Amino acid sequence: MLRYVTRRLVMLLGIVFVISVGSFYLIHLLPGDPAVVILGTGATPANKAALFKQLGLDKPIYLQYFTWIGNVIRGNMGTSFISQSSVAATIRAALPIDLEIIVLSQLLAFVAAIPMAMRSARKPDGPLDRVLGASSFTLLSVPPFIIIVLLVLFVSIKLGIPHTGPSSYVTFASDPIGNLESLALPAFTLAIGSFVVYYRVLRSDLIATLQEEFITMARSKGISQRRIMWRHAFRPSSVALLGAASVNIGGLLASGFVVQYLLAIPGLGYTLISAINTSDFLLVQGIVLTVSVGVVLINFIFDFVINIVDPRISRE
Amino acid sequence: MSESEKLLVVKDLATTFATAGGLVPAVGGVSFDLERNETLGIVGESGSGKTVLSRTIMGLQPRANVTVTGSARVNGFEVVGASEKEKRQIWGTEVAMVFQDPMTSLNPVMRIGKQIDEALRVRMGMNRAAARARAIELLELVGIPSPAQRYDAYPGQLSGGMRQRVVIATALACSPKLLMADEPTTGLDVTIQAQILNLLDELKDRLKMSVILVTHDLGVVATRTSRIVVMYAGRIVETGSTREVFYHHRMPYTRALLESSPKVSNHPHTRLATIPGRPPNLLKLAQGCSFAPRCAYATDRCHQERPELQPAAEPGHSFACWNPLPTTRGVAAP
Repeated sequence: MLRYVTRRLVMLLGIVFVISVGSFYLIHLLPGDPAVVILGTGATPANKAALFKQLGLDKPIYLQYFTWIGNVIRGNMGTSFISQSSVAATIRAALPIDLEIIVLSQLLAFVAAIPMAMRSARKPDGPLDRVLGASSFTLLSVPPFIIIVLLVLFVSIKLGIPHTGPSSYVTFASDPIGNLESLALPAFTLAIGSFVVYYRVLRSDLIATLQEEFITMARSKGISQRRIMWRHAFRPSSVALLGAASVNIGGLLASGFVVQYLLAIPGLGYTLISAINTSDFLLVQGIVLTVSVGVVLINFIFDFVINIVDPRISRE
Repeated sequence: MSESEKLLVVKDLATTFATAGGLVPAVGGVSFDLERNETLGIVGESGSGKTVLSRTIMGLQPRANVTVTGSARVNGFEVVGASEKEKRQIWGTEVAMVFQDPMTSLNPVMRIGKQIDEALRVRMGMNRAAARARAIELLELVGIPSPAQRYDAYPGQLSGGMRQRVVIATALACSPKLLMADEPTTGLDVTIQAQILNLLDELKDRLKMSVILVTHDLGVVATRTSRIVVMYAGRIVETGSTREVFYHHRMPYTRALLESSPKVSNHPHTRLATIPGRPPNLLKLAQGCSFAPRCAYATDRCHQERPELQPAAEPGHSFACWNPLPTTRGVAAP
């Protein structure tokens, strides 16, 4: 187990290094000249050279990388030339919103998917299984940007629940209930997609597990059906579920961007899209780096959890 | 002994599976009984219905697409027709099962100790500490070295023989009166097989249980059972005391089965006898004797009429055959 974790950790560091090089280089790939952005079009060559020296852009690129990564590790991602504010501070303000949406959506998805999959798997092709199967498939085919629009139409406009419409985000510190209200629709929208995936993955694994001999053996002990489902069937069936969740949460960041943009919720997604529109390269770089490292970390954590759930994996 | 005092009374027990191809009579009307502290052997080829029979006796058959008729009374409890909830009352405490393959019958992601003390906690209402202590005792009872450390092991960390010992310990947890051992050694090495069978024998005497030993291997039942039930195509074709079935069998199938097990007295390189043909397709059972198509003695009658069990010379010995082998009573045992 320890060896497995160490090996994974080394891999993680390698991946983070590659990501950091990628996001550093991203700036150099983007069209446009920093001198033009900062000094305007009328800058003289002498002014440009002075600026390059000031920014360290006259040094070889690998030295620029080390200076940059050193700063990033210390929490300094630079200052945006557009808004004149610290990139790290902007990210620190926006990131909790994304995290809150993801955590809420995943809670909703798991709380709905696990019991429903348990019910379905007990009687495959029974009436409940058929209804859930058909409706989950329908939900899967509706993209989040349609769902969020429909939700706004019904919940915000028809029902008139405050803080749920576009541009109505409030911070948790100022109004906890309002904050939950304002993130409810995006969280619910993202939960639907996750729910469908989790429900289907867990259901099919449970059905396979319930055919196993050790389930018959558990039955022969005279323990309740409920206990068999939760104590014997759930854990060995949840490896694929966790794998799906680990991939899905990474993807949620991306679909979260769309939802945030539609509702003007100032999370990372909204901030990123605005930064791209205003050519705020440093902010784009900071967000890309943060999100990529976040996805890698989430995968690492899930790998670890999967190992605890199924000890056979690290033994092999 | 009257019927009510018998530990197990099985009457006309039949298990039929509804499959896409039609109804499969996996067990087609079986009757026998079992005394307390007795070991009974159920033998037959693969597909003869041994496993389905042993599960049906416990009421542990699959829940969907199965019809069970007849009667199976375990210590007075009628299993046929009982709900899952009612059957839970006898599972583990009255009757328990040692499963065939220890590689698949233990939960791979649950510590073995937890699998043993689960029944103790749920069924016997023991607290955590008492159940743990009892589980370690059980591990010791089935001969697992350093049981306290093994308690926390996962099944994957144990060998096949050790796992089968854990399966036995789990079955014994609530001191059942009847232990069903369904081919308990097929997944194991030959040397381990003998160990496990001796262990079952020893435990049977120590814990005053009855044991039903289900196997395809006559060598296994020869010295360990007092009576044998020979099954073919879901029915009993011969039954009697072990001695009687081995030495004075009347049913050609029993002889064929005996001849196809290797003997120490065989000369080296003796070709092992086999039974020609294959077990019948239960979907298309002929109206006559199921063994007739493979039987050297079959006559027209065998193909048209099914023989019922009829008594042989010794009380308790009966066989189902129109043309039984000549009785060997009074003749020196082979």
